[in-house]
Amino acid sequence: MTADRLLRAGAGLKPEHQRHILEARPDVGWFEVHAENYMGAGGPPHHFLERVRALYPLSVHGVGLSIGSANGMAPGHLGRLKSVVDRYQPFIVSEHLAWSTHEGTFLNDLLPLPYTEATLSLVARHVDEAQTVLGRTILIENPSTYLRFDGEEMPETDFLRALARRSGCGLLLDVNNVVVSAANHGFDPRAYLECFPHEHVGEIHLAGHAVLESDGDALYVDTHDRTISAEVWSLFRDVIARRGVRPTLIEWDADVPAWPDLEAEVQRAQSILQTAGGLDARAA
Amino acid sequence: MPAQPDGSGLADLQHRFAHAVLQAPLAVPDGIRHDVRPTRERRFGVYRNNVKASLAAALAARFPVVERLVGDEFFTAMALVFIERHPPRSPVLAEYGTAFANFLEGFDPAADLPYLPDIARLEWSRHVAFHSADASAADIGRLAELPPEALGSVRLGLHPAMAVIASPWPIVSVWTTNTHDATPEAPAADWTGETALVTRPHLDVLVQRLPPGADLLVAELAQGVALSAAAEAASRTHDSFDLATALATLFGAGAITTLSQGSSS
Amino acid sequence: MINRTTTVALAAAVAAAALMSSGANAQTANADKERCYGISMAGKNDCAATGNNSCAGQSKADYDAKAWKYVAKGSCAKMEVTLKDGKKRMGTLAPM
Repeated sequence: MTADRLLRAGAGLKPEHQRHILEARPDVGWFEVHAENYMGAGGPPHHFLERVRALYPLSVHGVGLSIGSANGMAPGHLGRLKSVVDRYQPFIVSEHLAWSTHEGTFLNDLLPLPYTEATLSLVARHVDEAQTVLGRTILIENPSTYLRFDGEEMPETDFLRALARRSGCGLLLDVNNVVVSAANHGFDPRAYLECFPHEHVGEIHLAGHAVLESDGDALYVDTHDRTISAEVWSLFRDVIARRGVRPTLIEWDADVPAWPDLEAEVQRAQSILQTAGGLDARAA
Repeated sequence: MPAQPDGSGLADLQHRFAHAVLQAPLAVPDGIRHDVRPTRERRFGVYRNNVKASLAAALAARFPVVERLVGDEFFTAMALVFIERHPPRSPVLAEYGTAFANFLEGFDPAADLPYLPDIARLEWSRHVAFHSADASAADIGRLAELPPEALGSVRLGLHPAMAVIASPWPIVSVWTTNTHDATPEAPAADWTGETALVTRPHLDVLVQRLPPGADLLVAELAQGVALSAAAEAASRTHDSFDLATALATLFGAGAITTLSQGSSS
Repeated sequence: MINRTTTVALAAAVAAAALMSSGANAQTANADKERCYGISMAGKNDCAATGNNSCAGQSKADYDAKAWKYVAKGSCAKMEVTLKDGKKRMGTLAPM
């Protein structure tokens, strides 16, 4: 596995594509999976992932740890995440700045956190606990949010910078989430990216979103069910040109297209990385 | 309204938020900024909707025949009632839905379809089999090669993916026609109960009928009872039990993984 | 101790079972071959919102008030069901 392969674009691994990937071995840099989909004992999920892992670098993206839960992370979940990480030896492990478990009930979404000093202490403690158990650094992703809270004390970018400094974690910059949150809260995504602590970024996510119009107001929703918007591509190009090349993932989780459509998005990201980084497409 | 979400403030906020997400009537929890458009009701509604719609979609994917039997509109409405009463207790969504069949037992609007809970049990068993531990199925040839005097005390180990669902309703017929046929076949007039055998010898989940009494044989084998005693128990309880057919079905489906000799536990 | 009759019967049954099994894949003729290895049975954990469904989760159904407004429109409506009491009826799901 070469270093430049890890600086390439990758794709979210979907069950719809895994047989084709094993047969055709498409020229993409790496794949990412959601950790929770591989916490069963056996069967086709592990069968296929082991084979994909033998051919490509893998990133493990957790969606259920609930790092922002005031009453503690999802019980027993860190151990299960460790089992997935130990088994598949990913080059990146990431989770979200969000919460989803409350009193043992799992609310299947990435729920928002108020950005306060108290939340920061809690999240930093949980990230530290996760990194200690996993024995490695993890990346924390900026979320798509649809509402803000009363009494917040700092912008998201300051929160993430402080979290990275305090816990030693890296960050996963989701450019689509920036666009979604910016539209929903009326801030300028370029200003957000100007303030973002890029020195901590170890991975970038790109995905499609929906715009829900009602009564003259629009909400952007992070749906991962379509191609990436022109605005997201433009911001991504700027980030790469100014801040350097990062492993970049195309996420497409709903209305999953045929493989060539997803691969086309990966290749588009790849060409942007190459232009900026001067990487040779055939190097890997 | 709490001014600063300190440690306990965050716990309170999440408590209110979690309850408001799950409750049927839309009520936005305190502590959300409201000086912005779109309204906070619409904003909070995105989370509410996402939690419920994603869980309903997961249940529909897990119980496709139940959904086909009642239609998607009915299924979604029924799933939302289930989600409110039995929200997930694990972040691993593959584990969600274990209570669905029992929920259907007590769900009055679906009472006209008495076989619905057993169909749900069959579909849940398929889902569990898909994710269960792997094991190699034993060939019946290994059993046939044993000397006759060794057959009586042989114990048959069951595959971890195997499940048996005995029903007073023809669940295998209903499941099969609603899984494979563009137009479901009307059932025969003399519908009788069927016992489903679910296995996953390798990657494919298999569903077939178990012959009469074979479920009793499986139950005995699962207890570690030797083959001869298990067969006798099945014969005693079920007049038409046929050991040859039962063994051919079980081995053919990859339900048996090990053959061992030894004293009963 | 297992008597001789049982042993013979057991051996005969096993031999017959082995013979039945040798008849190709007759046993799995009715089996489900999950297309593409269970894509629909994958874990379903995701990190995105559930599509363009602004009202899909906003059920107004008040089940406890017996105001169940949904009527089944699935394949069951065509199926005749024999209930345990021997009566036959069509498997509709009209509100009770």
